[in-house]
Amino acid sequence: METNSYISLSLAAAARRDLEVTANNIANANTAGFKGERVAFEAYLLENPGGEDTEFVIDAGSYVDTRQGAFVQTGNPLDIALNGDGWLSYRTAEGQIAYGRDGQLSLSPDGVLQTQSGAEVLDSGGGTITLPPGITDLQISPEGTISSEAGELGQIGMFDVPSLQSYERLGAGMFVPPEGARDDAQPTESTEMVQGSIESSNVHPIAEVTRLMEVQKSYERATKLIDNEDKLIRDALRRIGRMG
Amino acid sequence: MKALSIAATGMLAQQNNVDVISNNIANANTTGFKSARAAFQDLIYENVSREGALTSDQGTIAPTGIDIGLGVQTSGTVRLNTQGGFVSTENDLDVAIDGQGYFVVNLPDGGRAYTRDGAFQLSAEGQLVTMQGYEVDPGVVVPENTKSIEINEQGVIMAYVESDPNPVELGQLSLATFINDGGLRPMGNNLLEGTAASGDATTANPGDPGFGIVRQGYLENSNVNIIQQITDLISAQRAYEMNSKTIETADQMMSTANQVR
Repeated sequence: METNSYISLSLAAAARRDLEVTANNIANANTAGFKGERVAFEAYLLENPGGEDTEFVIDAGSYVDTRQGAFVQTGNPLDIALNGDGWLSYRTAEGQIAYGRDGQLSLSPDGVLQTQSGAEVLDSGGGTITLPPGITDLQISPEGTISSEAGELGQIGMFDVPSLQSYERLGAGMFVPPEGARDDAQPTESTEMVQGSIESSNVHPIAEVTRLMEVQKSYERATKLIDNEDKLIRDALRRIGRMG
Repeated sequence: MKALSIAATGMLAQQNNVDVISNNIANANTTGFKSARAAFQDLIYENVSREGALTSDQGTIAPTGIDIGLGVQTSGTVRLNTQGGFVSTENDLDVAIDGQGYFVVNLPDGGRAYTRDGAFQLSAEGQLVTMQGYEVDPGVVVPENTKSIEINEQGVIMAYVESDPNPVELGQLSLATFINDGGLRPMGNNLLEGTAASGDATTANPGDPGFGIVRQGYLENSNVNIIQQITDLISAQRAYEMNSKTIETADQMMSTANQVR
């Protein structure tokens, strides 16, 4: 009998999880290279011998919305955006190899190409890219080749990451393979690099606000069900009491 | 409710964004000012259920996990170091840098600062100084009775004194460049200061390889793109509103929960 309330509770818990994920998407609506997160729910079947089976809602997982964000032109020579499915590769301060699409790059005092958070940007061979001092005319080709008047200076790597969905999110727009898993990223040539632009967050404001409303409604529905169930039991108890 | 604090980080980030944008707009007519942009990054993720967790004894694994992000933070402000437009002033002591580099300014405390603002003046002693009265490196003193001053593209300063048709060479302006311009710290008064992030200054004369040339009689306008700033302002405001909507929703959900029995 009481399972009813617990089924509603599972819905309320799922709605709450969805709210948290949506809140994070909205908070990152202006974060360059950010990829939205989505929650996937599943039915959990509880077999009930002698009665009808019941199904609970469980949050099975969350997945990344990998769609490309809009390009915003900045004119900054060290801002790059990727047009296609490829990913940039970074080495974090802890030495982890991570993947992401945030192309707001800058240089370290030694001329090493890095992100705003200080992660080094890698070439297709996994090495860092160092630019000599005194470069005036920095050009980055669609293939990621950096050149100036002095000639070719290096190439920013672009990678195909087939099992990105199973990667852990590190923050700062980075994804890393989960512990024990193999890094299956491969250099790709099907992606184009665009200099002087950044890829804005792929979060769709209207979709997110609609989701907020949806989450709120399903939460209300769940609490309403719990409330009704409670009233039903009280009502039943009152009637039984009267009978006695 | 994590959603409350997540939305709070979002509002804070947008507040920073508006601060940076309003400073850009306020400096739209400041000589040598470089437009800045707030860069954001997502905060760490709470790994509620791990990617690749075993789902059966046969070794099947979960293809995805559950990652709950904790919001957003400002990772830095990026200065856009593109060339600003030239404004003709016809003033002998106004110089603009066409290309890379910064004028070197000797601060009264002995330190050095860097600027793109070439609106120079003369001190009571005839010294070439900035608007704040700080000496422009290398210290150039203009002799008395100077009729006109000429500064060529290489920054060589020449003075025509009294009726002498041949100019007197007074010195040559120096320029500094940095590996990472973005690492320079703005000090206000159009001055920038070197930091560990910018690297050491490389000093040379205008016109040397990798350095810009100077143009007398011009000032470099700010490179603020007003239309861009206004559209950024609109998007920042909307993003702020969306985050407040999240807070509202979370609040209403909590109130709904409280009303159950």
